[in-house]
Amino acid sequence: MDGAEKVIIIRYAEIHLKGKNRGYFERVFTVNLERSLKGIRHELHRTSGRYLVAKFEPDMAEEIMSRISRVFGVHSYSLALCVAADMGEIYAAAKAVAPACGTFKVETHRADKKFPRTSMEINAEIGGRLLSENKMLKVDVHEPQSLVYIDVRENGTALVFGKFSEGSGGMPVGTSGKGLLLISGGIDSPVAGYMMAKRGMNVEYLHFHSYPYTNEQAKDKVIELGKILGRYSGTAKLVTASVTHIQEEIHKKCAAELNVTLLRRFMFRIAERVARRQKDQCLITGESLGQVASQTIEGITSSNAVVTLPVLRPLIGFDKNEIITISKKIGTYETSVLPFEDCCTVFLPDFPAIKPKLSFIEEEEKKLDVEALVEESVRALEVIDL
Amino acid sequence: MIYLDNAATTCPNARAGLRAASFLTENFYNPSARYHGGVCVARETDAARNELLGFVADPEKFDLIFTSCGTESDNQAVFSCAKRGNAVTDAGEHAAIRSAFSELKNRGVEPRIAPVNSDGSVNTEALLHLVDEKTSFVSVMHVNNETGAVNDIRTLARLVKAKNPRAVFHSDGVQAYGRIPVRLTEEIDLYSVSAHKIGALKGTGALMKRKKFPLSPFLYGGGQEGNLRSGTENTYGIAYFRYAAEEKFASLSADGARLSGYREMLWELLEKPLFARLSPENGSPYILTVSAVGLRGEVLQRKLWDAGLAIGTGSACNSKKPHSPVLEACGWDGKTLDGALRASFSPETTEEEIVRAAELMNAAVREMKEVTG
Repeated sequence: MDGAEKVIIIRYAEIHLKGKNRGYFERVFTVNLERSLKGIRHELHRTSGRYLVAKFEPDMAEEIMSRISRVFGVHSYSLALCVAADMGEIYAAAKAVAPACGTFKVETHRADKKFPRTSMEINAEIGGRLLSENKMLKVDVHEPQSLVYIDVRENGTALVFGKFSEGSGGMPVGTSGKGLLLISGGIDSPVAGYMMAKRGMNVEYLHFHSYPYTNEQAKDKVIELGKILGRYSGTAKLVTASVTHIQEEIHKKCAAELNVTLLRRFMFRIAERVARRQKDQCLITGESLGQVASQTIEGITSSNAVVTLPVLRPLIGFDKNEIITISKKIGTYETSVLPFEDCCTVFLPDFPAIKPKLSFIEEEEKKLDVEALVEESVRALEVIDL
Repeated sequence: MIYLDNAATTCPNARAGLRAASFLTENFYNPSARYHGGVCVARETDAARNELLGFVADPEKFDLIFTSCGTESDNQAVFSCAKRGNAVTDAGEHAAIRSAFSELKNRGVEPRIAPVNSDGSVNTEALLHLVDEKTSFVSVMHVNNETGAVNDIRTLARLVKAKNPRAVFHSDGVQAYGRIPVRLTEEIDLYSVSAHKIGALKGTGALMKRKKFPLSPFLYGGGQEGNLRSGTENTYGIAYFRYAAEEKFASLSADGARLSGYREMLWELLEKPLFARLSPENGSPYILTVSAVGLRGEVLQRKLWDAGLAIGTGSACNSKKPHSPVLEACGWDGKTLDGALRASFSPETTEEEIVRAAELMNAAVREMKEVTG
């Protein structure tokens, strides 16, 4: 089947649920697909209920499928052979995609009702010929090990393929607003970003550092994580903010056990300023209930108290190993575990408060010039286009 | 920027670069080519070989093969010679030797590691105790890259050979070549050196060997370097190495005397007890390692860079690990190891820079003590 053109069929996930907004969702989805295929010569066609990638170099098929598999909104995709709607051509293609042995079944979808044979007749004829030419094959219409799909289209061509590959699912990125992810460089926050992007949210990143207590490699690591996430969520922007002076002040003036609690309140305040400035509609964190001292319900309450934007915590009910599994699947794990500090251990108290009382926190915070410190950090933001 | 991290690498000598530049332009030929252009490049490469060797050894008795770096030279020495029985080295070695010795285990050779003294020099008695009739290879570095301690390799080689004449003696001379006086004796079979530590380029190194010493190749191919190191020679890097070394050796003893003075001056100017000294007084003039006890050297290093001083912590090659294993082997406690800082000099270092460096170091440590203390 050397002469047949290879095409990739893309089926989409939840877009069809969206009623009158469907046109909008499809437009965003098209843009995202095109963006994911940037740099590869191809044509993208929208046909009834699905997309077709065509006219690419045959060698690029794997790369295209790999990129498509990361676009949210893709339900499944298949590499298919596109041939003339002619029984001889269809058979040749079916032979190329059919398994070498085991049980199989042919399934035909006939959009072109003028095609001289019915779906059942095509199934029988193609299946029969495959059987007679390969003694290692057996038909099983109930639980076949392999399938051969034939799709007779209205434009005089037929698509023949053998496999459905699962896409990332979810909603096209950009259809659910824009959020700001607090990204640390650890395992959790990139996964949180991935989860929100999967639900269609545009994710921008904010990273806090305490240079010179933390090093520059830690920032490079976050940039790398942002780039990996960008393969799912499209292009993105990373903002970095220094909390060095804030940490020094807290360390000097406040109760040691509140170090982390107070720092997180500063981070949330800065994050809200950044979010409002770039029109992000919410904050996103990788917090998981009870994972560390600051992620107790009391800790979360204390952080939420200083912001009005909603704070989305998609990992709140996840165990660490569940998060690690996703992290490995999306490819951020290897980078996340690189041994660079993302939070300053110089200032880490031996016993952080697990259930800090809001009144005590606010009392301690009075020792600091909160507004000036936040302002100082916001004034020195660095913006990096990933 | 005041650059006091010359043990990590040195700023390339621009004069040497100009003299070597023709190997990037009209003399670009492959030295293995048989036509005139190639032959000329081969002659120049051989001239460089003889000159670089002649600075520290008798070219009648020693050979030099060019490699890509000190690490390659060390690895070739280890894996070419440590093939049976046991191999002996010390805990003060550079990672190029320590990691190669760890690998020996997988190749059926028993690695034996002698302890070091608190200044990083090898404990001679302990080392000799580990050498027996089954020892095939002994490696002791000449100048410790983290403390500047100098090992008397001539005496060590003689003592090792007295105990086992068949044991091969190698020394990593990367921090010694072009910095302190070196004369190889016939008991020293192999000696590794590197170009970028003396104002030449990264990517050029050499392994000196006693003539007729049966070294095995590490890379196989076109048979360059007397079949001991295949791969087209880095003719530009080699020429650069030669010209930079000419300058270094011309002023070796004068530089040594001056830098010893600077090393002691820096130590005098550093405030006590903010700093503790880890380097010995009789070590290399080029290295002073101190500790801002209780603080983190890496944080100080970044603060100092921002203030205009580049300085090392432990060895740059293992800065991803929390503590330098070499300084750990010297027996320092955790707080001293945390705060380790290495100042290393070059002949370009000036007195004003030393004074300023001390001010910056004192200020950074005081400031950090105030914030974190």
